[in-house]
Amino acid sequence: MNILFTLLNILILLFAPFFVLGIIKKTKAFWGARKGVSIFQPLYDTVKLFKKNRVISSQTSWIFDFAPCVIFTTTLFAGLFAPILGGYSIINIECSFVVFSYILGLNKFFALISALDCASSFEGMGASREACFTTIVEPAFFMILGSAIVLSGNLSFSSILNLISQTGSFGILLVAIICVSLFIMLLIECSRVPVDDPTTHLELTMIHEVMILDNSGVDLALITWASGIKMVILMSLITNFIIPTNLSNGYIILAFFASLVILSIILATLESAIARLRMSHVFEFIFVMNSLALVVASLVAVRIYGV
Amino acid sequence: MQNYFIAILILLFSGFFSLLIKNQSYKLKLITLGAVVASCFSIQGALSVGFGHPNTLIINLGGIFENVRFQLDYLSAFFVIFISLMSALSIIYANGYLKPYINKGKDLSAHCVFLPLLTASMLLVVGVSNALFFLVVWELMSLSSFFLVIFEHEKKETIKAGIKYLVYMHISVVFIILLFVVLSINAQSLDFIHYKQIFVDNGNLSNIVFLLGFIGFGIKAGFVPFHNWLPDAHPAAPSHVSSMMSGVMIKTGIYGILRVLSFIGVPGVEIGYFVLIISIISGLWGVLYAICQHDLKKLLAYHSIENIGIIGIGIALGMLGLAYNNQTVAVLGFAGGLLHILNHSIFKELLFLAAGAVYSKTHTRNIELLGGLIKKMPYTSILFLIGAVAICGLPPFNGFISEFLIYFSMLKGLMIENLSMFLAMLLAICALGLIGTMAILCFTKAFGIAFLGERRCSSELALSKRAELDNEIEEVSPWFIFPMVILAFLILIIGLFPTQSFIGVLIPINTLVADFEIDNIFSILQTIATIGAILILAIVVLYMLKKSLYKKVDKAPTWGCGYNKATPRMQYSATSYASVFIKTLMPLFKRVVDVKKPKVIFQKDAHFHMHLEDVEEAYFIHPMIKSIEKFFAKFERIQNGNIQSYILYGLIFLLLSIIAVVILG
Repeated sequence: MNILFTLLNILILLFAPFFVLGIIKKTKAFWGARKGVSIFQPLYDTVKLFKKNRVISSQTSWIFDFAPCVIFTTTLFAGLFAPILGGYSIINIECSFVVFSYILGLNKFFALISALDCASSFEGMGASREACFTTIVEPAFFMILGSAIVLSGNLSFSSILNLISQTGSFGILLVAIICVSLFIMLLIECSRVPVDDPTTHLELTMIHEVMILDNSGVDLALITWASGIKMVILMSLITNFIIPTNLSNGYIILAFFASLVILSIILATLESAIARLRMSHVFEFIFVMNSLALVVASLVAVRIYGV
Repeated sequence: MQNYFIAILILLFSGFFSLLIKNQSYKLKLITLGAVVASCFSIQGALSVGFGHPNTLIINLGGIFENVRFQLDYLSAFFVIFISLMSALSIIYANGYLKPYINKGKDLSAHCVFLPLLTASMLLVVGVSNALFFLVVWELMSLSSFFLVIFEHEKKETIKAGIKYLVYMHISVVFIILLFVVLSINAQSLDFIHYKQIFVDNGNLSNIVFLLGFIGFGIKAGFVPFHNWLPDAHPAAPSHVSSMMSGVMIKTGIYGILRVLSFIGVPGVEIGYFVLIISIISGLWGVLYAICQHDLKKLLAYHSIENIGIIGIGIALGMLGLAYNNQTVAVLGFAGGLLHILNHSIFKELLFLAAGAVYSKTHTRNIELLGGLIKKMPYTSILFLIGAVAICGLPPFNGFISEFLIYFSMLKGLMIENLSMFLAMLLAICALGLIGTMAILCFTKAFGIAFLGERRCSSELALSKRAELDNEIEEVSPWFIFPMVILAFLILIIGLFPTQSFIGVLIPINTLVADFEIDNIFSILQTIATIGAILILAIVVLYMLKKSLYKKVDKAPTWGCGYNKATPRMQYSATSYASVFIKTLMPLFKRVVDVKKPKVIFQKDAHFHMHLEDVEEAYFIHPMIKSIEKFFAKFERIQNGNIQSYILYGLIFLLLSIIAVVILG
């Protein structure tokens, strides 16, 4: 049973990113009244990138060469700690969400210094923005998970997700707020509209894309794959807050995949419907997540201590 | 215990005998030898504590120093170990760092006396168990470090920073004297062993004593708002001294706080919250100001404040755990705090030494003028990178282990059913998370701008001069590299063997928490260690795989968005890298701008210069000093240089004393 779930989790981590990205592309094409590419296109692109040669900037050092390996490996390892299918995480220890966040921190560290290694003004700009946004997101994420811990009375990552079944109608409200704020975090961390536009062609307005301007071939493949994995991890985090864990295995797997598809469609629809925010307004958007986190914390405080 | 005294004697004698040697570089070699041998002795002495060896010694120095007791308990032994190790490494490094000064003909006699004296006095501070003698060695420590700070006393700012340091240390000592006055009056003794009894059912006294101790020792440790001396003193001192001060000496302040805590036993709840709040503020304040620093050593100094804040959070959790009678929280908090003391001294020393290596080759600490050093100084760069990743608290290095223990303690604290504890822990978790990500922002800036990219230069330098300067930069000598390699190795060891390090810091906690049990933390730490090791392995394997599969690599210049005349000066600078974040928090800084706008085209003297100042210094310290100066200026009239009025003062004084005698008499 556990071996099955471990295997499934690893398969999901490795291959779901391509399909999630494919569905997003397809949905965006649908809203744009285009036929769009096949949903396998992201997979084909990555395979092609793996076959290509690399061009490396002559200004860079070994850090630039080394960083994509760190970025890919750390994202995958963070996935081991995160609850994926049916709230099951491969490594389930107490306090594992701290390990999860800090491994992603290592990921971010190398992404940032690899961008600074290119001696380019554009890449430095992207790194600067990315560093700033992550910094503001992190406390909100910790506050949400800290509040969830108090409600569930258990420190492990999987059991703090099971809030709906434990606290009834109050739980539905709470889970709704948590899911909205985690969705905002997804938009920020995976650089989607309205924070960042992955399809833009103007370097000055990019965030994530501009950091990897000089990466090519296998390096680019590893980095895009890693950011896809990160997206799947965050999506399954939201999924696990919604799906009750007392379903039978077949339903859990079905519900999980359905939820991934629905989240991708919502994301793509949102991207088609709204424009990206002006850079100075992005902060206001991020602070929505922080405010929601405060609401979650106060709801939990009221619930438990009845102030 | 014997070995501990032998170590101190070796240190003092090596300092003394170095005066007899004429050759400057032999002087350094002698004290290096002394420090290394002494550290072997003192570490051996500390490790033997608790194995049946006598760990108390009473020395009679006569007069007021009758029966001075020295005692090494587990807490002292913990500090003795890392003080001796870190100081020895710093002194080894000094051999390389001071070479250019020797070549210039600088006299090192005083420096060579005070280096071992500082080490010896720090060892004495943590070993002595007598209030009066403690004050003496405490003062000795402050003074010897002062003389080490003003090594380059020709520079005006060095003297200024040194004086500031001296003033802060003496404000600190006032509080420590008051603390010991209160303690010794209540206990009727100068010996530490009698201090425990006076707190039995006396809650008020314990609050006063702890506050006095916290302010006195907190100034040494650098808690906000007493932190102002750190960012000035550390950059002014030579690198091995700043690494000793930041890595080791400020921890004696933490030792003092823990020692006072060991007298008190169970502290009050409100005191625990007080320390928690101060520590959170210190952590955030330190890293926030570190982000906007461009002086590499000043940046590291502000990071010391941040890390003292993290250590303080650990200690506050320990105190709250004790106050709420929850031993798991207490033990995990203290363990995290103590391990972070050790960790911080390792990676901060590594970073200061690497910064010193950079300074000795490039002659600048301004990261805006650096860049591309990874190609010229590969070893220094990778060592700095290891230190930077470790100080951000990222796995698989040592900083993560101590921060993880603190997080664990906070999450256990969330489970205590108490509203104020819930809010405090939630605040602390968010704060620690914020500190962590801000540290990432700060150290990607420091490493990315100083070591990566291309060499930046000040615009005034001519191109030929630039090339000349660039050629001078080369890898530093083994005297620099060797201590740094050992420190990097320690970082990895603690990161990969967290269970063993955790057991190591549990021993000194016996002094603070009576008897305790811990359940599942070992298996969790073991999992983390395994995952960390596999993570390193996986990264290396993937890198090797990539290297072997994709041998063909084309080189091309960085994408310039269609512009192909890019120069190093067009790179992103440290200011611009930090500006997105700093702009959102502008009210927390004082912005000082020096600008001259161009009136005509190509005006030569048009310039713009901006820096950010510490608001505490700008809006609190400076006005306070101004008003004190103003107050005392009023008395200037009294000292008017006129002999007649001085005689008049004497007469008035005599008259007043006669009247006083008559009335009281």
